[in-house]
Amino acid sequence: MTISKEKAGALFFLVLAIAYGMAARNIRLPFGFEEELLTARTMPLILAWATGIVSALILILPNKNSSGDFIAAFRGLNWPRAILLIALMALYGLVLDQLGFLLSTAFFLFAAIYALGERRLLLITGISLAASGGTWFLMNEVFDSGLAKGELLYKLGIY
Amino acid sequence: MLEGILQGITTAATPVNLMMVFIGCFAGTFIGMLPGLGPISAIALMIPITYSFEPSTALILMAGVYYGAIFGGSTSSILINAPGVAGTVATAFDGYPLAKQGHAGKALALAAYASFSGGTISAILLLIAAPALASVSKSFQSSDYFALMIMGLTAVSAFAGKGKFLLAILMTLLGLMLSTIGQDQTGVPRFHFGIADLYDGLDFLLLAMATFALSEALMVVLKPQSDTKESEAAAKGKLGSMKITRDEAKDLAPTVGRSSLLGFFVGVLPGAGATIASFLAYGMERNLAPKKEKEKFGKGSLRGLAAPETANNAACSGSFVPLLTLGIPGSGTTAIMLGALISYGVQPGPRLFVENPTVFWSVIISMYIGNVILLILNLPLIPYIARLLALPRQILTPLILFFSLMGVYLLSNNTFDIHLMVIVAVVAIVIRLMDFPLAPMLMGFILGGMMEENFRRAITINDESISFLWERPITLSILIVTILLLMAPLIGTFREMRAKRLRDRLAMDGEL
Repeated sequence: MTISKEKAGALFFLVLAIAYGMAARNIRLPFGFEEELLTARTMPLILAWATGIVSALILILPNKNSSGDFIAAFRGLNWPRAILLIALMALYGLVLDQLGFLLSTAFFLFAAIYALGERRLLLITGISLAASGGTWFLMNEVFDSGLAKGELLYKLGIY
Repeated sequence: MLEGILQGITTAATPVNLMMVFIGCFAGTFIGMLPGLGPISAIALMIPITYSFEPSTALILMAGVYYGAIFGGSTSSILINAPGVAGTVATAFDGYPLAKQGHAGKALALAAYASFSGGTISAILLLIAAPALASVSKSFQSSDYFALMIMGLTAVSAFAGKGKFLLAILMTLLGLMLSTIGQDQTGVPRFHFGIADLYDGLDFLLLAMATFALSEALMVVLKPQSDTKESEAAAKGKLGSMKITRDEAKDLAPTVGRSSLLGFFVGVLPGAGATIASFLAYGMERNLAPKKEKEKFGKGSLRGLAAPETANNAACSGSFVPLLTLGIPGSGTTAIMLGALISYGVQPGPRLFVENPTVFWSVIISMYIGNVILLILNLPLIPYIARLLALPRQILTPLILFFSLMGVYLLSNNTFDIHLMVIVAVVAIVIRLMDFPLAPMLMGFILGGMMEENFRRAITINDESISFLWERPITLSILIVTILLLMAPLIGTFREMRAKRLRDRLAMDGEL
């Protein structure tokens, strides 16, 4: 059995609407605000109902312009490279404060360019260092914004 | 008005602002040329830089990026049949065949002239329409704005394309839901899930960067384009003559005039914008063309190239009308500009015309300057700009990812934002693969807070009653138009369902 992209999306939105609506009912209102016409719950509850109705409509109505099967949409793509880049970005966020902007950025760019298939190491090193160094200089020296120097480097007594 | 125009000229013609138009046009052309990256990403990438600028300077830069991105999209459409922007898809219909016939230079030059003409004519129309609409909208109250925002969001969904109406509505609702994260106007915290970083809600720039710049760059990795060799050939190859003869210009003048008007008015409509304008102009010209010329469409017709090119630039200027006069964006691109303006402390709308006339007029004047600069920049630089297409994607993509992440991180200095961006980008990729439109979500997110605020204010003004929805004529009229917009695609769906049922029944009867 196959499910179209629209129906699968609508199903997801229906679940989201129920979860969102339940979370909206649990919003804590300040004492005395419960009887107000418009509270912090009003708009979320309207949105939950509207999302529920629209997603139910998509699920019920026939697909006349379906753009294809849900599972097929995720097949035949270059997932390994994309996942590697996503993981690198997440890792970049993790090490940025520890290693500091310069090192972590140079590492991120080097790894990302290499992951995408570039094998000229000198070129990759040059681009990584130029982009990280250039941004560091611009932000710290020109705009005085104080980018992370790296807690780990501080603990090691490097600066 | 004359005073305002003079004020606009004085502001827009300062060396800093002129430089911003130039940088904006150049950066926009470059980013727009990269297949996969559109004007929303181009503008989002510019916003972090603009935070230290004057609001008028920032908006001038963003407007330059907008036109530049549209023109850049045309270049890649013509040379390698890979539109960088949805608004330039129609440009490839005749631009690419022209390039294949050895007339790439002529096609690019015509695109530059057509963009210039469309942009200039629509900027003149904007000069007339914007102040007029701004004076009318001065009488608008909170309830009218609330209704207008609902209409804007509905219209964006109504124009989302065949079969996409309900999907666009869902995405708008998702944007509205995301806008409820964090404290509401009365200070009540909502949907923060105990995460302190979510108490102030999601940042619009984070959402825009993650859903557009980051996810578009990752999509290029997911679906690698097989155009590298073609790009290199186009970049290194000869473009041919760039001359357009007097007869050709004479023949194309009515096309440019018609497409400019059509593009501008389509651009003014919320939700329509450059893509629909370019397709409509292409269709209109094909229908109006004599039989001999009609046969050339799709095979390298100059008219077929000039029409969408003129219309998409005219629509860009047109889309500024609702943004500047009502404070309501008509497209994802102007929505992101609205978000940026709000973060600069400028509230677009009729008050902008009164309180910040410098911003209002300088943006309009900068459009003329932007069009001139685009022409000056593009005509002599076309052969060099084309070489940018040969830049290796494996180097560009990581740099785009880096600048997107940095754009948000530098403003908050909080690595939580980087992780949140990665999560949002992954969700955005899934949404893209499922063919759900993302721009309505961004519009819903940006308008969500304003909608709730205006609704709250309207209720307070009306003594805790919602009777303004049917008692106030302007509000009621706007809501009726909204209902009509909402019903039209649904009625169409039900009609088609009934017709299909009838056809099936007839077929069954025939079989029996």
